[in-house]
Formats: sequence, C-alpha cells, structure tokens
Amino acid sequence: MTHAETLERIRDLQARVRELRRASDNPAIERTMQLLDLYCHMARWELGDVEAMTPEAEGR
Amino acid sequence: MRLYKPEVEAQRFWNPYTQTMPRADLDRLHLKKLQTVIAYAYARSPMYRNLLDRNRVRPEQIRTMDDFVKRLPFIDKKEILDAQAVNPPFGEALATSEDFFHQRFATSGSTGAPLHIPLTYHSAELWGESWVYVYWAAGLRARHSFYFPFNFGIFAAFWSAYMGVRRLGATVISGGGLDSKARLRQIEQYRPDVMLATPTYALYLGETARELGMDLARTSISHVIVAGEPGGSIPATRQAIEELWGARCYELYGIAELGPTNPGCPLREGVHLCEEWYHALVVDEAGNPVVYGEVGEHIVTSYIQDGQPLIKYRTHDLVRWTDEPCGCETTWLYYPGGVLGRTDHMIIVKGVNVYPSALESLLHRVSGLSEHYELHVDRDATNDFVTVKAEARPDVDESRYGDLHRDAEAVIRSVIGVSIGVAVQKPGSLPRYELKAKRFFDHRPAAHRWQLAERPGA
Repeated sequence: MTHAETLERIRDLQARVRELRRASDNPAIERTMQLLDLYCHMARWELGDVEAMTPEAEGR
Repeated sequence: MRLYKPEVEAQRFWNPYTQTMPRADLDRLHLKKLQTVIAYAYARSPMYRNLLDRNRVRPEQIRTMDDFVKRLPFIDKKEILDAQAVNPPFGEALATSEDFFHQRFATSGSTGAPLHIPLTYHSAELWGESWVYVYWAAGLRARHSFYFPFNFGIFAAFWSAYMGVRRLGATVISGGGLDSKARLRQIEQYRPDVMLATPTYALYLGETARELGMDLARTSISHVIVAGEPGGSIPATRQAIEELWGARCYELYGIAELGPTNPGCPLREGVHLCEEWYHALVVDEAGNPVVYGEVGEHIVTSYIQDGQPLIKYRTHDLVRWTDEPCGCETTWLYYPGGVLGRTDHMIIVKGVNVYPSALESLLHRVSGLSEHYELHVDRDATNDFVTVKAEARPDVDESRYGDLHRDAEAVIRSVIGVSIGVAVQKPGSLPRYELKAKRFFDHRPAAHRWQLAERPGA
C-alpha cells in the first residue's frame, strides 16, 4: 500500500470513528471511539499529515 | 505467534517514514508542525499569548524556519513558574481543560519551586512512543519483558518509559515498594530481559549484588536502558554498566518538562533528536544557532505538549549537534556523546572548556577508582578551578591512594591539557543515590556562570 493510500484509509477511518462517537450514547463506546480518534490522529502525524495539534482541538 | 508480522518485526526503524526522511523534507515538515503548535499555544495558553504579544510577533508571521529562529522568543523555566504561580498549580501556562488530563507530574524543585507538568492522554501516549524509538533500535520487541526497579512517584521520566513499553506491546515488571536487595531477588525470580534505571542506580545495584554474593552478569538482563542523567553515552560509564550486568547499555536523554526528547543511537555513541515529536536548536551564548559540530545550549520545542505547550524552551543542557551520518542510517540529528554538561555547569579553566562528562569519562580510565565522584568548582580572581573527589574501589589498599591521585591527575592533564586536583576518598565516603546523583557542586558567584545574553529572541 502506498503512503497516500495509507493516509486516505486512516482519514476515512477517523471520519467514521468520529461519526460513531457522536452517534453513540454508550459511555464505553464513546470512550473507545475517543481513543480510536486519538490513534488515527497519531497515525496521521506519524505519516506527516499535520492538521491540528490534538484530536480534541480538531474534534470540538 | 508474534504480535508483529515477521516482516514488520524485522524492520530496523520504528517509523521508517520519518526516520529516513531526507533533511530538506524533514525541515519542511518541522515548519508545518511548528506553525501548528505556535498557533495552538497562542490561541489557548495565556502565557504564550502574553509572551508573543510582548515580543510583537503573531503566529501567522512565522512563515519560514528563519522566522522561527529569529523572531520567536526563547522561554525559560522561570517564566513558566511565574505563569503557574498566577493560579497554581498550572495557572496561565495551561492550554487545555483539566477534563483532558491524564497525569500530573512535577519536577523535584531542588533548584527552586517545583514546575508542574500536566499530561493529556494524547501527550502521555506520545511521550511513551518517544521511548519506543530507543527500544526498537536496541532490538527490543513485544516478546521482551522490562523491569522497573523503583517506585512510581511524581517524577515523569520512568512513567513515560512505562507508557513506551505499553506502546511497544511488551511486558512490564514493577519493582516498586521493594528495597534494592528485594529487587535483585525479583530479577532472579521473574527473569526480565531489560532493566531501566539511572546510570547511578544501575551501578549502585552492583554494590548491593556484591553484598548478596550475586553476579549480575549471570542474571537474565540482556539490555540496560539508562536515563535521567548522563552516562549511557559516556564510553567508560557505559562499559562499566555493561561489564557489571553482562548486557548492552543504551541511553535515552529526556527533559522533565518536555519528555523523552532524544532516544539513543543503536550504535551507542550518542543520541538522536526524536524529530517525529520534537524540534531543536543548539545556540551559543548570544542565542544564535551554532554550526553543526559545535557545542551550545539545547533549545527544544515539543509537538506533544498540548496541556502546557513549550516552544523554544531553554533546557540549559549543553550538546554538540551534527548532521553527519552516525552510521545507523537515520536522518535524524545526532548528538555524539549525548549531554555534555549543563550551561550552569560550564567550566573554563585557563581558557579551556572542561565538560563534567569528559571528566567522568577520564576518571573511569583510572584503574582503582570507583564510579562515585564529585566535582567542586570555585573561582579565584581570573579563573575557574576544579577539585575532584573520587572514591577508590573497595579492593584497593589505602597505601595505593597516592598512586591513584597521581594517575588521575596525569590522565586529565594529558587529555584536557589543564591541571585539575583529584582527592582520593575511602569507599563509602560519598553519598549514594537511587535516582539522579548529585555530582556537581558549584561554589562560583552567579555572574561567572554561562547565560544567554538578554536580547530579542533570547
């Protein structure tokens, strides 16, 4: 998989995770989705895709 | 079955994308990250908004690396302490809601008030990841187990090492709540592969092992990772640790307020800047970047301090930086010899810069001296002068102390070129430490210590 394809998939995954986080009313799922969002954010920075400083700042 | 796919586990680098990135691309990426963190800090941290406003600079004016170097001011610990004092513990240095806090740490306050350090979950994960670069470089993988021979207290350093082990996916064994003898027995029982400690404590455990009649070189420990003070990049200290433990010794250089900034090079002669999560400059006393190959003060910006951003932070550590390849094939900046000293420990004897790490290395060359020593620095009308107190090894007869004294003074004079007095002490006469050792005692007036000139950007 190329660098660009990897990034595209991570961005797509992060968007879905955020959607699920907003939609869920289950605390356990909300927190799990927060952490998944954070790991997507980390993975994007690790691949040089710098959008914002933190997932919190991006997401709220 | 393994946690990582075999072809991934065999990779030399934890993140080959950035660890092998050409310098020009790395610098372009740094600029983007710096702009992001500056905008974040200006928008959220009253301390940074005030600092930039006072210096008449706005985040959008930082368009180039030259702007960053020349226009943006340094920040020192005192300014953060002042900002925290407005509304303790974090005051105006804080940039996020406490809802996002994961851990709260503080420095020891040994040189003044403790500096408080808030870590969000995001920061804690990435402080941990910064450790993984040295674990991975040392050949450590998820199947290895890591022994932590200390209590988990308010100090950040080894907590982040623990987060790193979690991030790697390896096993943690805690020696918390035990004394040194019980920890050594635990090592015999659980057979960990890796021990994390300060160089001082790694060597101190050798004394404890002798009391128990235990040979540390025969334990399961194959890797010792040291941090918290210089040592891992000082060849003689590293060799002493490696011989004692029958293990390979690697270093991580970190800074309490910033985290694990510099994982050790796998070739073990120095450390790299973790350019994934940090940017650094090395500057002279006037605040100007020194050319590669020269020594200066390490100025660091963190990309992962969203609770309390630190940009162009003065570490007061003296390092030599270089873009020359070290041989391990990463493109990240390399600091041969790790931390060479502190700006406030800079000694100039008859015009010659004398680094405490160099003296430590030379003392280790003298057969019959132990690893325990102290440097006492004072000043007469024109010059700094240094006296070294060095302990003899327990197996050396007191009648040989005169020879040790002459040998130590001769080796220092032959390498550094100036005379430094060495007083040989009996074994056990200098204090012992479980974490960082206090080895440097400065009796000089403050005006004669190294300090950055007061100027814009300094």
